[in-house]
Amino acid sequence: MISVAEATSRTKGRIKSRDVLCALAGAAALALAAWAASTVAVPIENDLGLVAVLPYPFWAGVVLLNVAFVAALRGDAAGPASRPVMIWLLAVLVLMLFGTAIFVTGVPRGEVAFRHLGIADALASTQDINPHIDAYFNWPGFFALLATLHRATGLDPVTVALWAPVVDMGLWLTALGVLTRHLTTNPRRRWLVLWIFCLGNWQDQDYLSPQAFGLFLYLVVVALVLGPLGAHVPQFRGFKRVELAAWWRGRTPAEAQPGRRLSALVVTLLLVVVISASHQLTPFMVLIAITALTLCGRVWPSRLPLIAGVVLALWLAYPASAYLDGHPPLADAGLQAATQANIVDRVNGTPGHLLVVQVRILLTLVLWVLALAGAVWDWRKKRLDIRVVLLAVTPLLLFPTQSYGGEMLIRVSLFALPFIAMQASSVLLPAHVGTRPSFLAAGALALCCCLLAVMTVTGRFGNARYDVFTDNEVAAVQSVQRLAPEGSAVISAAHPTPWRNQGYLDHRYRTIDDLCKSGLSAATCGPLVYDYARHNPAGGVVLLTRSSEESLVLQGDISEQGFDEFEQWLRSQDSVQLVFSNRDARAYRLAPFAVAP
Amino acid sequence: MNRGSVSKLTLALGLAAVVLSVATLIGLPTPVQALATAAVLVLLPGQALARLLHVADRALGALLVPVLGLATLTAVSTAMFYLTMWSWKACIVAMSVITILACLERARQEEA
Repeated sequence: MISVAEATSRTKGRIKSRDVLCALAGAAALALAAWAASTVAVPIENDLGLVAVLPYPFWAGVVLLNVAFVAALRGDAAGPASRPVMIWLLAVLVLMLFGTAIFVTGVPRGEVAFRHLGIADALASTQDINPHIDAYFNWPGFFALLATLHRATGLDPVTVALWAPVVDMGLWLTALGVLTRHLTTNPRRRWLVLWIFCLGNWQDQDYLSPQAFGLFLYLVVVALVLGPLGAHVPQFRGFKRVELAAWWRGRTPAEAQPGRRLSALVVTLLLVVVISASHQLTPFMVLIAITALTLCGRVWPSRLPLIAGVVLALWLAYPASAYLDGHPPLADAGLQAATQANIVDRVNGTPGHLLVVQVRILLTLVLWVLALAGAVWDWRKKRLDIRVVLLAVTPLLLFPTQSYGGEMLIRVSLFALPFIAMQASSVLLPAHVGTRPSFLAAGALALCCCLLAVMTVTGRFGNARYDVFTDNEVAAVQSVQRLAPEGSAVISAAHPTPWRNQGYLDHRYRTIDDLCKSGLSAATCGPLVYDYARHNPAGGVVLLTRSSEESLVLQGDISEQGFDEFEQWLRSQDSVQLVFSNRDARAYRLAPFAVAP
Repeated sequence: MNRGSVSKLTLALGLAAVVLSVATLIGLPTPVQALATAAVLVLLPGQALARLLHVADRALGALLVPVLGLATLTAVSTAMFYLTMWSWKACIVAMSVITILACLERARQEEA
């Protein structure tokens, strides 16, 4: 039988006043935060994002919730507060941190969720997968799932995208909750890991996306590998060949019944296939994690990495071959290129935006330093769990392999986060399972949690100036998608545009900053955009929205004056007609050049 | 459960798969349709498949219900797209068949 850690025994069936108080405090915190967030006006007019415009009752709610959590975690001599109370507090935290934007606006944040809705819609409309369209159609698993669920349930796709962060966090926490049962017997530590996982989750990857789905399945695979597929190892004697062989042969399965191990193996393989079909990066994370765990003797089926590698290779060689033909995976490999794309290129923009970027870096560093301190602490106490260390560190191996559009470091830090949280929790709680944190330690923990929460809200919603869309912008995009003739080029100023959720295959979608790599000034960029649109046989529509302008200005790509000059230049050209205008957007139709007979 | 008899849960899962799949194919009012479809596409097949695994850890067993449901639906939907035979109705039928087959296998195990 696998040894699953059980919670410290508690007095069953008796409701404790401390538990009730903590639950009520959670409810009050949620009410405060939701009300405060609902008073925020859109658009957000501050370079720091939501953190600068959320009124103080929101922060009072944050403090109240973290204090309630620490009180519940401290509990009494029998252990932390009851499970329903801890789950309730976690649910409130998820709603507060990941649902904040839902209280502010009814429009999903960011462009990508809209695009993903469009891909699912395109799949459902064509009922076919054409891998030559773009990369998404080479890893269509998640979009096939989305298309089926949308068409079958009849739910409004935009509403689904709006609530996706909350749902995804719920799924991640559920998987992580099961996973941590195989890593610690301390119930306080398990709850704290989940809490820190939320507080450190600034990466903003929980929107409706294949990577969010992939992370959920990744955590389940790790839970299976640490649980029913795990192995106990004898004491390590040395690196000599004989000693290594004896150590390897001395391993025993964590799950005694072969039938159960086989079941877990079948499920793991199914998940590896689904992950390989759904996302580019996650299967590599899975492969690295299970390979590392296998090499340190902690996985019983030692051929699992080989099988996972074959599945991944087959997917790349066949269904994804169309994309890989023109995009070799290691084309931009190298530490220098990765550092340039992931760090140097991101540290620019207005002073407010720079501060947000610095807070994100600081938050990540704080958690990694806490984890390092926890690892040293555990090592000195001779209780360091090599599995946690490996799972926290191995995602870093992917950092130099590809820049991943400048997002590799974000993905790496996200995949490491559950185990960084696990290791960090070592220094934040007393070493012994049954020991309650002292009042002083609990106070310090509450303070630490509050600071992490402020940093997470800052980092997570730091782009709110341009990734929180107004109703006017959504209306403009819908009009453009309707007005633009089929096959025409639809050109937005920059990527934060809530487009492509309909008619994904009907137009050629481009952005001005993609077309004008050498600069966005009217003199150099204007003619490029103008010619691109007019040379397109169906012409083009240039869409200038408030959020796309804010994005370019905030990140230092162009000034407000430069943007106005660009628009003035465009308006003054032949065959350019204003076809849509509201407070937050303008759309210009560019007729195609006459085609020679 | 008595040896040699099929459990009520196995029967209920199989029957629910049949009834709800027919109901969702005919069509229900929007919120009910969403709930019934989620059950037919994810929860019922997930539960039926998870019961075949005999997982010792109850928390892991509970987690596997949505995981198996979502993973199986992803695999089925993707395969149907590649075979150019996708429709959401075909997915409902396929997932119901998977649920019923899993229930039949579970019943066979219970009767043994």
